[in-house]
Amino acid sequence: MASTVIGQPVPQVSALEKVQGRAVYAGDLAFPGMLHARVLRSPYAHARIRSVDVSAARALPGVKAVVTGADVPERRWGVAHKQQHVLAKGVVRFIGEEVAAVVATSESVANDAIDLINVDYEPLDALLNAGSAFDDDAPQVHAEGNLAHEIRIARGDVDAGFASADLIHEDVYSTQSQYPGYMEPMATVATVDGTGKLTVWTATQSVFLARQRLAEALDRPVSTIRVHQPAVGGGFGGKIVEERSSVIAAFLATVVDRPVRLGLSRLEDFQSGCFSVPTRIRLKMGMQNDGRIVAKEVDILAECGAYAGLAPEVMLVTAMRSDNMQRIENVRSRARLVYTHTMPRGAFRGFGGTQMLFALNSHLATMADKLGIDPVDLHRRNAIRTGDTSVHGWSIGSCGLPECLDQVTGAIGWSAKRERPETGGVLRRGIGMAAAMHVSGNRTMGNWDGSTVTLKVNEDGRAVILTAESDMGQGANTMLSQICAEELGIPLSHVTVLAPDTDTAPYALGSIASRVTVNAGHAMLKAAKQARDQILDAAAAKLGCDAADLSIVEGVVQSTVNDNLFAPLPEICRYHIFRHGGEGILVTATHDPRTVMMDKDHYGNIAPAYSFAAQAVEVEVDTETGQVQVVETWLSDDCGRAINPLAVHGQSNGAAVQAIGWALHEHLQFEDGRLMNGNLADYTMPTADALPRVNSSIVESNDPNGPLGAKGASETAILPGAPAIANAVYDAIGVRITDLPITPEKILAGLAALGEKNHASV
Amino acid sequence: MRPFDFLEPSSLPEALSMLAEHGDACCIMAGGTALLLAMRQRMLAPETVVSLGKLDELRDIAFDPDAGLRIGALARHADVAGSSIVQAHCPALAGMAGGLANPQVRNQGTIGGNLCYADPATDPATFLLAAGAEVTIAGRGGERRLPLRAFLVDYFTTALESGEILTAIHLPPPGSRQMLYRRYLRTPAEHRPVVNIALSAVTDGGALSDVRLIVGAATPVPQALAQTEDFLAGKSVNAAIAAEAAALAGAEVEPLSDGRADAAFRRQIVRTATRRILLDAAGLDWKDNAA
Ligand SMILES: Cc1cc2nc3c(=O)[nH]c(=O)nc-3n(C[C@H](O)[C@H](O)[C@H](O)COP(=O)(O)OP(=O)(O)OC[C@H]3O[C@@H](n4cnc5c(N)ncnc54)[C@H](O)[C@@H]3O)c2cc1C
Repeated sequence: MASTVIGQPVPQVSALEKVQGRAVYAGDLAFPGMLHARVLRSPYAHARIRSVDVSAARALPGVKAVVTGADVPERRWGVAHKQQHVLAKGVVRFIGEEVAAVVATSESVANDAIDLINVDYEPLDALLNAGSAFDDDAPQVHAEGNLAHEIRIARGDVDAGFASADLIHEDVYSTQSQYPGYMEPMATVATVDGTGKLTVWTATQSVFLARQRLAEALDRPVSTIRVHQPAVGGGFGGKIVEERSSVIAAFLATVVDRPVRLGLSRLEDFQSGCFSVPTRIRLKMGMQNDGRIVAKEVDILAECGAYAGLAPEVMLVTAMRSDNMQRIENVRSRARLVYTHTMPRGAFRGFGGTQMLFALNSHLATMADKLGIDPVDLHRRNAIRTGDTSVHGWSIGSCGLPECLDQVTGAIGWSAKRERPETGGVLRRGIGMAAAMHVSGNRTMGNWDGSTVTLKVNEDGRAVILTAESDMGQGANTMLSQICAEELGIPLSHVTVLAPDTDTAPYALGSIASRVTVNAGHAMLKAAKQARDQILDAAAAKLGCDAADLSIVEGVVQSTVNDNLFAPLPEICRYHIFRHGGEGILVTATHDPRTVMMDKDHYGNIAPAYSFAAQAVEVEVDTETGQVQVVETWLSDDCGRAINPLAVHGQSNGAAVQAIGWALHEHLQFEDGRLMNGNLADYTMPTADALPRVNSSIVESNDPNGPLGAKGASETAILPGAPAIANAVYDAIGVRITDLPITPEKILAGLAALGEKNHASV
Repeated sequence: MRPFDFLEPSSLPEALSMLAEHGDACCIMAGGTALLLAMRQRMLAPETVVSLGKLDELRDIAFDPDAGLRIGALARHADVAGSSIVQAHCPALAGMAGGLANPQVRNQGTIGGNLCYADPATDPATFLLAAGAEVTIAGRGGERRLPLRAFLVDYFTTALESGEILTAIHLPPPGSRQMLYRRYLRTPAEHRPVVNIALSAVTDGGALSDVRLIVGAATPVPQALAQTEDFLAGKSVNAAIAAEAAALAGAEVEPLSDGRADAAFRRQIVRTATRRILLDAAGLDWKDNAA
């Protein structure tokens, strides 16, 4: 029997409350006596704080507290690098760094008080350009120097590989930072109760990582803090553990001992980051005449801004992940992460993959041209396949990359468009494609990637799920509800997922590394099966039959051999309570995938499954204005199995749009370290007007390790967009743009250079 | 944003006396799309905001065969675009108003607020200058009428005196004039024009006369391309003439450089815009006529 829930395009379980405006976000919360906080930010990229005079601010009526770096705990917080305080102590390292905070009876009073704080800065030379980080006279961002992290990975014999190559191509690519652009700017409400417990409601992708970080930053035991995740309006990586405002809000609540709200305006959200990691990538690749890659060498310079945060982990992905997409043996990479006096950069959807896949796919298209091979064929010839173990030890349980390539090239009419004659004229069209892979899960923290789900079946046969895996809009709660409803044989509307709460939900890492469907989905499956077994055992006892002969269909426990034996689910659930000494159905199940944490050489099968994607686009370039329009886009995501195709299409289309934004439109403009276009009028994310119809399709490779065959979706989908566009632009006008974004100015300059070259060669 | 008093006069005289009473500590609000952004960023912090929202007489759009079109200052962009009167007597104006910004802004922002703010990155001023528009301004001492050219003084500066309200925009009857308007975004994701261009001319059996060619968004205030206008007078447009005019326009425009685009880029777009609008006016296809 076909499922009525799994694989069905069901709307998000939160859709109704969201469109009605009834979903409650952190910034919507209000408590009696709640106070409002504002933050004073550094106007200098690098300065010593000589003194801070808060007397006038403190004297303003309505002001309850003014705090500076002198008042915050000595202990530093961070991911691997512990370098940040709640507020800057002694030194500021980027424009926008939080220097002081005010708590007052209203936002308006708090704003006025902020203006009354007098900071005496001693401006210092600032390092604003990653490329100068190692200069002899470069200002030092941290005492230990400007190198935050370095990675070296080598496998096979790279030199021999190059020696055997028929074609070697080398180029340098650069990628810019992208703002996550979620609908909901960061907001937090925090309060301390009579027992001294600190409770925090904040926009987060992981309540437990948030709690861990608060414990560290505020220097207090983990269990004295409780973190709730209300509805979250998008995260895209920016709300994992790098944003700083939730830490400040929580600290302020401990100072005033009353509820404190800190909601960032869009402008402040821009000023505080966290943007994606910009990179400069030198890529050298050797191929044989048949297109087989025989050697690859990369050198990466990445910039984390003032503090390392998650950027070392992001850079690791840039340095090695895409190696696993192909059957290659000889790879070498060196990656260096440098500090600058600019805002911290870090996690962003795709987690370092977008950067390298831009370089790799651009490079492959160029080499395909040189060898006279269709780039699609080049991808196919090198693609990793189901059953392979990749160069870094990844066991590929399923690979739908060939099918992704088939889908997108078929849909766009690749072969016919490749063969059409050049038309000339002012508007030129071109096509391009790119392919990508990503992890579904990642065994790192604590050598663990597990997920636990608690399931309660109420006396009316309806289910409640407790988990700390986060739904920040991507659809985790709908996925869990679907699996639960399917296994219990109840309608989707009978399942509720409780919002993550560190005091009631089992420990979880949250929404990172595309791990929730693949891991929490499994835990959900196990929990629901356990609950189902308990229900069927109880029903068997009540009906006097064998549990193996029973199933649950549309809320009724039914014998499969005798139509007369049945009982409504609520009856059995009540029976279960009464016959088990008052115990209702309450089960907890954990799934920790059988993966292997990377060893010190970065080898190991880190994820239970790997997902793939491909994209083909057609662009139109206006050769007089330099404007690039994406006129057609097709994206195909191998997500193993689409538990909810509507959600997968939503994620794929959103990812395609975010990639179009990164490739063509979104460009943070800095002047002397100051962000000049930190607002949504001047930082132009694509709107509906800027987009063509966005198409996506799904490949179901049914991964043996995925719950019901499913892998992660959505992060993979952001990866191929930018290079597909760059390749299409090249196809249209013969200009290869290697530094993102592809601006009209670069197009015009490229065309002019091409014109001069053609002129010179006539 | 700082707290402020919000006043809603129900007649023009009442509005004018409120403005007089509160002086420089108050601001006029029409649709609020520009004003509120400035207040939220604390670039403006008025103690009092006087809303024109209830002055329905300022929303009127009317046509008179002798006087031409009269557009109330409080007409929203969407009102101008959707008005059957505008569509009948100046379809290019309806097209301009219906194509600027985005639906949210068109449904809230007014044409008067647009002119009074004098943000260079806007559309109406360019078009209205080519149309030969005039504006009426009400003050405590009565009304005055002046050419739009004189109203637009500089970057974010108009001839409005403190306490005055822009009430209407007048367009002379079009007669046999042909009007065209084009706007260029730097990328499709931007809302505001980086360059716009308006052409107004009488076409007599192909030859152009009484040519007005105005470029906006590229310059602090819209600029009349006088040399290009002179060059075009009496000429019938073909590909070569359009290319020559484009080169002239590119040479004489004095573009801005700002965060949205540098002068060289804007100059290139002005060239392109000039060539294309002329070919469009002549019914020729610019797509296969690269300069
Ligand atoms: C995202 C965005 C995109 C935009 N894109 C475009 C675009 O592409 N093209 C374009 O042309 N414009 C664009 N605009 C600007 C928009 O058209 C103007 O903001 C709008 O027309 C202003 O009208 P308003 O009624 O909202 O003015 P308000 O904000 O109410 O007022 C603006 C200013 O004018 C004064 N004022 C208003 N009415 C009068 C009056 N009758 N007499 C005297 N003073 C007055 C006010 O005191 C204030 O200083 C954009 C705006 C935004 C926010």
